[in-house]
Amino acid sequence: MGEEIIKKSQVVVIGAGPAGLCAAIEARKAGATVLVLDENDRPGGQLFKQIHKFFGSGKHWAGLRGFRIGENLLKEAGQLGVKILLNAEVYGIFDDMTVGYIRNGVEKAIKGERIIIATGGIENALPFPGGTLPGVMGAGGVQTMVNIHRVLPGKKILMVGSGNVGVIVSYQLMQAGAEVVGIVEAAGRVRAYEVHLNKIKRAGVPIYTSHVVKEAIGKDEVEGAIIARVDDNLNIIEGSEKHLDVDCLCIAVGLNPQIELPYIAGCKFSYIPERGGYIPVFDENMETSVKGIYVAGDVAGIEEASIAMEEGRLAGIACAGSLGLYDKETEEKLKKEVKKILRAMRTKHDSRIIHSLTGIPSNDRFEKGPVAVIECKEEIPCNPCESACVFGAIKVGEPITNPPVLFEEKCTGCGRCIPKCPGMAIFLIHKNYTDKTSLIKFPYEYLPVPEKGGLVSCVNRNGEIISRGRIIDIKASKKDDGTKIIAMEIPKEYFNDVRGIQIRGDGI
Amino acid sequence: MRVNYHPILGKDERKKLVKIVVDGREMMAVKGEPIAAALLANGIRKLRKTRKKGEYRGVFCGIGRCTDCAMIVDEIPNIRTCITPVKEGMQIITQEGLGKWERK
Ligand SMILES: Cc1cc2nc3c(=O)[nH]c(=O)nc-3n(C[C@H](O)[C@H](O)[C@H](O)COP(=O)(O)OP(=O)(O)OC[C@H]3O[C@@H](n4cnc5c(N)ncnc54)[C@H](O)[C@@H]3O)c2cc1C
Ligand code: FES
Repeated sequence: MGEEIIKKSQVVVIGAGPAGLCAAIEARKAGATVLVLDENDRPGGQLFKQIHKFFGSGKHWAGLRGFRIGENLLKEAGQLGVKILLNAEVYGIFDDMTVGYIRNGVEKAIKGERIIIATGGIENALPFPGGTLPGVMGAGGVQTMVNIHRVLPGKKILMVGSGNVGVIVSYQLMQAGAEVVGIVEAAGRVRAYEVHLNKIKRAGVPIYTSHVVKEAIGKDEVEGAIIARVDDNLNIIEGSEKHLDVDCLCIAVGLNPQIELPYIAGCKFSYIPERGGYIPVFDENMETSVKGIYVAGDVAGIEEASIAMEEGRLAGIACAGSLGLYDKETEEKLKKEVKKILRAMRTKHDSRIIHSLTGIPSNDRFEKGPVAVIECKEEIPCNPCESACVFGAIKVGEPITNPPVLFEEKCTGCGRCIPKCPGMAIFLIHKNYTDKTSLIKFPYEYLPVPEKGGLVSCVNRNGEIISRGRIIDIKASKKDDGTKIIAMEIPKEYFNDVRGIQIRGDGI
Repeated sequence: MRVNYHPILGKDERKKLVKIVVDGREMMAVKGEPIAAALLANGIRKLRKTRKKGEYRGVFCGIGRCTDCAMIVDEIPNIRTCITPVKEGMQIITQEGLGKWERK
């Protein structure tokens, strides 16, 4: 890609993840020359290992799988003529705004009038006896192996950490055919969004809160694990040890910003534990304490891809503005739009605030015919359900963190909203399907897919088998991107309990 | 273990294979995949032994940061196998300690 010719670029972006790509796109739109450097052999950062549907605003690709968002960003960047240099590892930023990098073993440099650092985060490690045995892996590494390279690191896996990453990777491991033996969480409650957790619970995965890994067992590689209960001070309660038969431990205990480059560049830092630790200080334009150097995405504090993208946009627009590529008015207008989205997404989604279920139909409505049941009550920045309903029966409104409200009289029971919910939290229930049976439609993303007409074991919200059901129909539409909608007939007494079918750990 | 079928990603359509040699044993790998992925697919997780205590290490980060996956590849030690693609005929050896640089 002709790096010899480019010795100067108005904007140099380090990192081709969602933040870096969005920054590059915005700067390029304004007409800046832009070069993106990434040490990987493929662009996209974390996005390409994420095969689940993302939360977010319906207007901004929410409901799309992470890797699809990555594909879209790359396409847009390509069309705009953003240059992306891969296998380019940046090792330093110097006083004269020169960025030093190594490519194919050769040292190179590029000078930028503006530099945007978007190097993302790095996973935290967790020390415990046996923690270095082969078979103990970071969640990001597991995700890369399973979803990109398509190999499983083990068959029976213990997930350590119940944040969104731990819970999402657990789900993905089961999709790939592994068994998740349990999730261990030192805190007294699960940290992930409830809708993500519910997917795992329906699959019957035990959740061990107030537990830690005491030891990974095995001579040369993992052959088992011992977990134990902890008290409020995180001290192990003697006698509470439990042996689990696992061959792999997956560590998902958070990320911290990858700050070497802002550090080398001389940026000031502040310590913000909720955002992952030491973070470069930045202003409302994402500019750091070093003039001309900007940060965006996880390096500016661990949040989410959707936020990383907006921060990237903001940095890109601000860079273009400061280079004189936008007049003040246009720049302010564009920045205002992005900031509005950022504010809405950050409107505190404190998962401890549990709203009453506003998405559940009344008893009367259940009697009248098929109706959507939306089991989503946390403040999540997400609204694809709202735009999915053409009858206006679902409202999220502003801020986007509002839990959805169902207007049951407007719901026709069409079920279009089911595959659109990234949390897989919408079900369609026809209570009076026949005299004795109800019909439930639910989203399904595992293998094997049950057979039409076949009998299956039905599970409740905790994954316990409570009845038998018959598969009436399976809908697999290309636009649902792998999410199947299963229609299943169940005994009427369970219409409010059955929420899925038993999945086998050995899906393949 | 390979994930040949996947509910979202579909069937694995990669067909081109290459032969690699691991500690003298021949095995097949998918063209272009990282060495560590090929080894995992063949059930190999112990990739190197530490210098002082001789403990085994395997893939941890999977993105080239932690160096736990270092092996001797085509006579060069300390190659991060999680980010180095396989090549036909590649010779891969479990690394002991810092490994020996055999190529002149
Ligand atoms: C399992 C999991 C599930 C997630 N689920 C969601 C979700 O549902 N919704 C959501 O919004 N977010 C989700 N996220 C978070 C999201 O992936 C991250 O917040 C987002 O990827 C951060 O984007 P980024 O561009 O800042 O960093 P990254 O995506 O990490 O990209 C950083 C890039 O910088 C490159 N780089 C780093 N250092 C250098 C260097 N020195 N030289 C050159 N290149 C370098 C890296 O190679 C990488 O490509 C999830 C994350 C994980 C791990
Ligand atoms: S597994 Fe960490 S560098 Fe390869």
